[in-house]
Amino acid sequence: MLMQLPMLPKYTLRHMLRDNPVMMKELRSRMRGRRAFVVLTIYLGVMSLLLTLIYLAYASAARQPFGPDPRQAGKVVLASVVGVEVLLAVFIAPAFTAGAITGEKERQTYDLLRTTLLPANWFVMGKLQSALAYVLLLIVASIPLQSIAFLLGGVALEELLVSQLLVIVAAVAYAIYGLFCSSLLRSTLAASVATFAGTIFFTVGVPILVAIGGSFTSSLLFGYTSGIPGWVGEVLLVHAGLFLASLNLPATLIVSEIFLQEQNTLFFYQQNFSGNMVWLYSPWLLFTVLHLLLAWFLYWLTVQRVRKVAV
Amino acid sequence: MAAIVETQGLTKKYGNLIALNELNLSIEEGSVFGFIGPNGAGKTTTMRILTTLLRPTAGKAWVAGHSVTDDPRSVRRAIGYMPDFFGVYEDMRVWEYLDFFAACYEIPAHTRAGMVDDLLALVDLQHKKEAYVESLSRGMKQRLCLARTLTHDPQILILDEPASGLDPRARIEMRELLRELKNMGKTIFFSSHILSEVADICTTIGIIEAGRLIAYGDMEEMKRQLRAHRLIEIRVLGDVTPLQEFLLTQPEVHRTASAPEVDLPAGTVRVDFGGDDKALSAMLASLVGQGLPVISFSERTGDLEDVFLQVTKGIVN
Repeated sequence: MLMQLPMLPKYTLRHMLRDNPVMMKELRSRMRGRRAFVVLTIYLGVMSLLLTLIYLAYASAARQPFGPDPRQAGKVVLASVVGVEVLLAVFIAPAFTAGAITGEKERQTYDLLRTTLLPANWFVMGKLQSALAYVLLLIVASIPLQSIAFLLGGVALEELLVSQLLVIVAAVAYAIYGLFCSSLLRSTLAASVATFAGTIFFTVGVPILVAIGGSFTSSLLFGYTSGIPGWVGEVLLVHAGLFLASLNLPATLIVSEIFLQEQNTLFFYQQNFSGNMVWLYSPWLLFTVLHLLLAWFLYWLTVQRVRKVAV
Repeated sequence: MAAIVETQGLTKKYGNLIALNELNLSIEEGSVFGFIGPNGAGKTTTMRILTTLLRPTAGKAWVAGHSVTDDPRSVRRAIGYMPDFFGVYEDMRVWEYLDFFAACYEIPAHTRAGMVDDLLALVDLQHKKEAYVESLSRGMKQRLCLARTLTHDPQILILDEPASGLDPRARIEMRELLRELKNMGKTIFFSSHILSEVADICTTIGIIEAGRLIAYGDMEEMKRQLRAHRLIEIRVLGDVTPLQEFLLTQPEVHRTASAPEVDLPAGTVRVDFGGDDKALSAMLASLVGQGLPVISFSERTGDLEDVFLQVTKGIVN
């Protein structure tokens, strides 16, 4: 029998965003008191201090003979802000959701909610919305700091847009991964450990695997496969590298930036491999598609877990 | 009157452990059903099945005409559930807590404010409307949770040990509240192992032991059963031996006991008497006629504790 796929709530998107009781409750609790605003102030304060130090270091270095190009300052500012946002997306967003469902179980409020008419997908969506809302607030609040990069020059609008898109997509995917762990495990501690293990694997483990896999693949392709033309092996290797880079947020950001700077393309370009023209794609495209698919699948699994009646 | 809760052969097994064994219940609309049994007897398992939180291994159950396995959403609309152990959102205000659950029951926003005020008045928490839930006492939290079960005006309230952990005053308040809900026409299905609390508000009781329903019926009928085993305490001047010898010749007397066999003052005999009021009066006349120096003759008021002890005698072991 086909399992019922999660449907968006029967109301419009506006109703879901505005009227989801779980989201309202969570946001009310999170934004109540001074804590949320103190965190936001500290976050912006630290970011401002970091950018000031970076700017002063560049300005000072640029005055020296053979110093860096002052136009690079804008890129470094953008990279620094995006770097902090990557940490937010990879660690803070799932940290908010890892305890979202286990917290209800530990607080003994889960059964109370499950006997109401609240659909399972509304419950999961409400938890997700509330976690992402705060992370998005932090990201949006740092946009004025990012715009300093434009004043300094050397930064294209596309760079800013792609970096923001990637950070937001990653935040959504990792937040849903945290929710999935929370629905799967019994305690917040276990869910948090599983969530961070997963996010660390994707952000740190994947590049290590890329390095190991890359050297293995290159020896395989160039050392033992004499029947395959050299350029085919090279193309396969490049595509494998692009695919693996698309699994990892920092790698995707870096490689997409390289594509933009060196090939002047945001989407695709043709590369010459021993006289054969082959299309290559900027990894942010695959990253976005893969992470949105993963997010949808994990959301579906989480809804199924929440909907399940104990046996 | 129609049955609002019905179970047929309801069974729940956890591996080899049978938590609930072929439970058959039929609870009428508007009644107050007390589900009595010691810890681990199967009360909470039954309630979790009826509230759609647990799937039965076998058997069927209906609440307000809806199958708990096939139509859980309709069942949830019909019930208000208060578990034995429940949490509250400590960082919410009292009105926010009720408003949140009302929203979860799809109560429109424009009607929620008035409804919250009414519910707080019902459970006598109006003065705590703006207070944080964490600041409430255990009894107040219990009443707030009861108010929560009423947000969607359910037909039946399923309350698992509603008075558990409360101090005597809070217990009385909870009992009064249940009585008020009964007067409002709600069907109440609640569990307890504090039998005296059940006695004066229940219309029907069921006694469950080791997963089996061992007694079930009208409250007054249960009390009549109890009267088949009346306990009479007779005090005489001097030695109780002649009194006991005489009593054991009486056809309605099942057995007698005195100190030190049981905890009774000297000169007192407890009699397990199976007769009606007429037989009891005749026995008193015989005692006096025999010249036994009776100085006190009284019947111990039977309560549910006695019913429980008699009905469940030996079952657990």
